[in-house]
Amino acid sequence: MASSRILPEFELLLPQNIKEAVSALGKLKSKASVMAGGTDVVISCTKGFGSPNVISLAEIPGLDYVVYDSKKGLRIGAMATLQQVADNADVKKRYPALQRACAINGTPQTRNMGTVVGNIMRASPSGDCICAVLAIGGKIVLQGPKGKREVNIDDFYLKYRETACKADELAIEIKLPAISAKNAFARMTRTTLDLSKVNVACSLVMSGKTVKEARVAVGAVAPTTIRLKKVEAILKGSQITDEVLQKVVATVPTEIKPIDDVRSTAEYRRDVAGVMVKRIILEALGK
Amino acid sequence: MKYMLSFTVNGAPADVAVGPTETLLDVLRDRLGFTGAKRGCETGDCGACTVLVDGRSVRSCITLALTVQGKAVTTVEGLARDGKPHPLQQAFHDHGASQCGFCTPGMIVSLAELLEKNPEPCRDDARAAIAGNLCRCTGYVKIIDAAMAAARSPHKKGGPA
Repeated sequence: MASSRILPEFELLLPQNIKEAVSALGKLKSKASVMAGGTDVVISCTKGFGSPNVISLAEIPGLDYVVYDSKKGLRIGAMATLQQVADNADVKKRYPALQRACAINGTPQTRNMGTVVGNIMRASPSGDCICAVLAIGGKIVLQGPKGKREVNIDDFYLKYRETACKADELAIEIKLPAISAKNAFARMTRTTLDLSKVNVACSLVMSGKTVKEARVAVGAVAPTTIRLKKVEAILKGSQITDEVLQKVVATVPTEIKPIDDVRSTAEYRRDVAGVMVKRIILEALGK
Repeated sequence: MKYMLSFTVNGAPADVAVGPTETLLDVLRDRLGFTGAKRGCETGDCGACTVLVDGRSVRSCITLALTVQGKAVTTVEGLARDGKPHPLQQAFHDHGASQCGFCTPGMIVSLAELLEKNPEPCRDDARAAIAGNLCRCTGYVKIIDAAMAAARSPHKKGGPA
């Protein structure tokens, strides 16, 4: 029996190196999708939302690295899978927020296929890796026809599914800083394999019991994953007391703009987001 | 336009001319006759199409065939060794871990990857390994029983190269 769901026509390009990929992207621009693991791109094609051209990174050697350096931090190549990052000892030790986001994303098979950079580039407001990286901080390395540039994750997401990556640029790497910050990630889903209805992550630099720096990110409650600047301001310079946590829980709903959709309601998201932020702050601090 | 795909399936080399939109599942089932991997949801959700690519379990229904150029693909048909079923296949038989059987190849391939990575898993490890394989007969308990029996088997390190 032939396939019951024949994919709509598209051309598949398999560049052999980054230069070829960037050159193809430069010619095709928005008429091409870049594919790493394919867990999103192929499904978009199946559903008829695909581009006329798909540029696969599958045959470019050496893009599946996960490398940690105590001074430079973590570098994740465009073809490093979610499972590779979840299994990495340095990620487990220093970036538990990202480790968790990768380890609970999808199924074992989609984790073997899907990539962290792909999750970042898809720019879904519910992307788990986006939430973790936004809390930890980091840079996306983009290769364009005229060279490389790095964009801070804080400036990367412009609006719903829109990033600072130009149509002729290829995301080749994500860089996370070498940090000593305590970080954690959590998400809420209806079933284990579902996409997040809310996800939260935090990264706290502590000086004794006082928070010196705080980054808090929350996803699926606005057109893009966002940082909670008011919550971060409350945390900065404070000790984590019940009173501070109560203030955090009360402040979270004032900073988010959730909607009703297939996965949850705005009301529910508004109610649980604050509690989830409180819980990951405690988890990050090992409480 | 067709392109030549050269890869190995269950250890044997295969060369097939395939189009850009053909999936690995299409090629395995329709061109090469490996019908062990099943066509279920075709959106990467149900796990019936699970095969190993270079030892890692993937969804063949959302893997474009041309992206496995030069790689080693193992389907459920390739797990047996020396004419004997893989310990998981034997254990599924012994424990009645198949009802309609549609999910079975995907279950076995996912669990084969688990046993390669962790030869002595606990029941929760086995549950996590088949988290992406749906059984609509809901026969999960016997599947986990079978996985545990295979893990205890002296031949548990057997399986795909």
